[in-house]
Amino acid sequence: MKTCDMVLVGVGGQGIVTLGDLLARAACAADVPIAFVPTKGMAQRGGFVKVEVRLGRAGGGARIQEGRADVIVGMERSEVLKGVRFLRPGAHAVLYDHVWEPTGVMLGVDAYPARDRVLAELSDRAGRVVVLDPERRPRLGGQPAAANIFTLGALSGCAPVREALDPRMIESVVVQRWPKATETNLAAFHAGLQMGREAPDHGFSQFARKAPS
Amino acid sequence: MTGRIMTGNEAVARGALRAGVKVATGYPGTPSTGCIAHLLTLDLPKRHVEWSTNEKVAFEIASGAAWAGHRALCTMKMSGVNVAYDALISIAYSGTNGGLVIYVADDPGVSAGMPEQDSRGFALMSYLPMLEPATPAEAYELVQRAFDVSEVTGAPVFLRTTTAIALGHAEVDAESPRAPAEIEPILEKDITRYTKAGSKICKDQHQASIDRLVRSGEYVQSMGLNRLTLASSEGGTGIVCVGAVNAYLPEALERVSMDAISLLEVRTTVPFPWDETQRLLEHCEQILVLEELEAHAERAVSVAAQQSGFSGAIIGKMNGPLSPIGEVGVTEILAGLNAAGLVLPQGSSESVSQSNAEGVAILPAKRPITVCAGCPHRGTYLAVDAAIQRAGFTKDDVMVTGDIGCTILGMNPPFDLLWNEVSMGSSISLAQGYVHAGVRTPVIATMGDSTFFHGGIPGLVNAIQHQVPMTLVVMDNGWTCMTGMQVNPGTHDGFQGGGRRVDLEAVIRGLGPDHMHVVDPFDLEATTDAVHLGLQSDGVTVVLAQRECAIQSSRRKVRVGTTTIDAEACILCKRCLNVTGCPALQIRESESGSPSMHIDFSQCTGCGLCASFCPTGAITHTVASKESS
Ligand code: SF4
Ligand code: SF4
Repeated sequence: MKTCDMVLVGVGGQGIVTLGDLLARAACAADVPIAFVPTKGMAQRGGFVKVEVRLGRAGGGARIQEGRADVIVGMERSEVLKGVRFLRPGAHAVLYDHVWEPTGVMLGVDAYPARDRVLAELSDRAGRVVVLDPERRPRLGGQPAAANIFTLGALSGCAPVREALDPRMIESVVVQRWPKATETNLAAFHAGLQMGREAPDHGFSQFARKAPS
Repeated sequence: MTGRIMTGNEAVARGALRAGVKVATGYPGTPSTGCIAHLLTLDLPKRHVEWSTNEKVAFEIASGAAWAGHRALCTMKMSGVNVAYDALISIAYSGTNGGLVIYVADDPGVSAGMPEQDSRGFALMSYLPMLEPATPAEAYELVQRAFDVSEVTGAPVFLRTTTAIALGHAEVDAESPRAPAEIEPILEKDITRYTKAGSKICKDQHQASIDRLVRSGEYVQSMGLNRLTLASSEGGTGIVCVGAVNAYLPEALERVSMDAISLLEVRTTVPFPWDETQRLLEHCEQILVLEELEAHAERAVSVAAQQSGFSGAIIGKMNGPLSPIGEVGVTEILAGLNAAGLVLPQGSSESVSQSNAEGVAILPAKRPITVCAGCPHRGTYLAVDAAIQRAGFTKDDVMVTGDIGCTILGMNPPFDLLWNEVSMGSSISLAQGYVHAGVRTPVIATMGDSTFFHGGIPGLVNAIQHQVPMTLVVMDNGWTCMTGMQVNPGTHDGFQGGGRRVDLEAVIRGLGPDHMHVVDPFDLEATTDAVHLGLQSDGVTVVLAQRECAIQSSRRKVRVGTTTIDAEACILCKRCLNVTGCPALQIRESESGSPSMHIDFSQCTGCGLCASFCPTGAITHTVASKESS
């Protein structure tokens, strides 16, 4: 059985712990051993959140060693930097390129890292980088689809993940979880999945905003 | 697969149900909260589950039930054991009838604040067995074994997890619950056992608790909880691997080349597996001890080595290279294996991985945690600050002691108001010490409602009795929030599940402070006036700021009011954001294309605080016509 270790980081309120839960349900349904552990601040929104997910290791602990993750996912441009130390050489990095400015940044007292420097850092340290523009989320009824499901799609499309756990299993738990939002969630999942798969095996791919048609 | 994905906390809850637990009590505390929280989601006839006022109360309730012959569980975070311990050691000396299990979750690596303490020290001091699972599945098994050990030996038994197990999710094969035993409660009158009346009784009980630990050691050995695997040839390294670390050892061992490794997997540092350790020492040349936090197992191995004349090296924390700080994962295990002279395979990727692990060249943005949008504490912090200024001081002149829970977030920007955080209820007693030390400026203590019930009352009684001039601000939002909104004694009747709300205001008035003001923290004027009056007054002033937690009232769709911003009128001075730091305030582009302040209506509760600080009147606030309380 293939193993896959992933570290998901972002900000409380982005639905990252839910992704751990969905992956766990999918793994369980697919008979793939799984352990995951969320690390988050307190009850408040807006703090750092990290979820470590391990596929294919029976009976092991949920913590992933630094420098050993197969995939990291960041759902916020600055927070993704906190996942970088987990990357093993050649690993995949997925960035949902959303900016959630802390108050200190909005007030001009704290710095926010420049986009090109964040992307350079990812390119330098990961074998494959997939950058998702939030604007590329499908829109149904005028509303953009859920960012975390879109990101989950891209994650599921990365080779180490799809080799350890069939994306169709993940898709079906998404459908089961929100029966009333099947259409938009499937659209989000598939759009992400396609980007996660399509990106070349090495190097940097950016799924930027579509040119206005 | 037949199992279900669940957290370690839930596994403990389900294991306890499987063991026929009758009474389960606890006080919320990360990372242990999920156990009682899970039990409270279930319909459990003939059992009693509750959040108690504090950990000591929780433990005493569980003990009463266990003395009466039933199986009882009590849960807490490691800091809670400090609170419960007064009762705990006394009951440890008396022993128990029904199985009594104390579930404690330690937090190595400190995910949630508070001292990084190792609860195994408590087990050593009270001669209580402590079972240490490595995974949620083991937690499910071992909580059941803990009840067995407790009933067979008469000792209360600890079950200890750590954060990664308690909050970690993994597959557990949980069987259906077993009903509590149908027994008549035991009413045994025996002062030699159930009191501490006199030297002989206490010394006999001391001896009895030592004897119980010896019996526990024999029973644990008969169950094979501590597994010894000796290498086929003599010599080599013996690894003593304790509790949580066992989940990571196989992964680390995959990555080294080794021969002649013998392994003792320890699941009870107390009682220590002396026999297994002696056999390991006889077999091996050197010993590596892998354990999280303090060197308790390593010290025991050293004692065993001294007794048996073992002269090889014992590698661990006492002489380096491992540290008592933080979690122990694969990195730390490899460091230990390295110190034991085991070689990493040629061309391993360890060194390359290392360069990533050393960190990135650019820093992420600072993200200090603040109170939620619409949090009533925001009003209280702003009012305390305003009152300090009105009295002619700055917040750097005035000691404002802090306490545990969401209220401590007043230490962070933009409030920067609180100076310290010690333990539940400490703020009010610490403040008295500052007054007696002769601090010339006024002294203020702050505390939440759950904290006040938990440990604040004795401190306030003391302040009133000794007539200490000070102001106590109790921030009553009706829930125990930092741990995820649990019910506390002051929560609305409708959530008390058959219990009854205790009126916090009546409790405080009953203690008889010299002055008392009850205010709405969203009424900045009235709250500032009340605190300011306290700063001017002799004796003890209590300001009770009452307003429900924003998250809880939003869940019930209760709105405080409606707040809107006129983008045209906003001059982007950022004063609203600067003063309140409300996460619902965001700078975005307006339709006209220029940036201005916006309100994120998915977060805003319409508390109106920001409106009071806008110089141009761009923010309008209307109070909801009919508020529910
Ligand atoms: S009214 Fe202002 S301070 Fe209150 S929640 Fe809304 S944006 Fe935040
Ligand atoms: S205080 Fe008023 S004018 Fe200043 S940024 Fe806020 S809304 Fe705009």
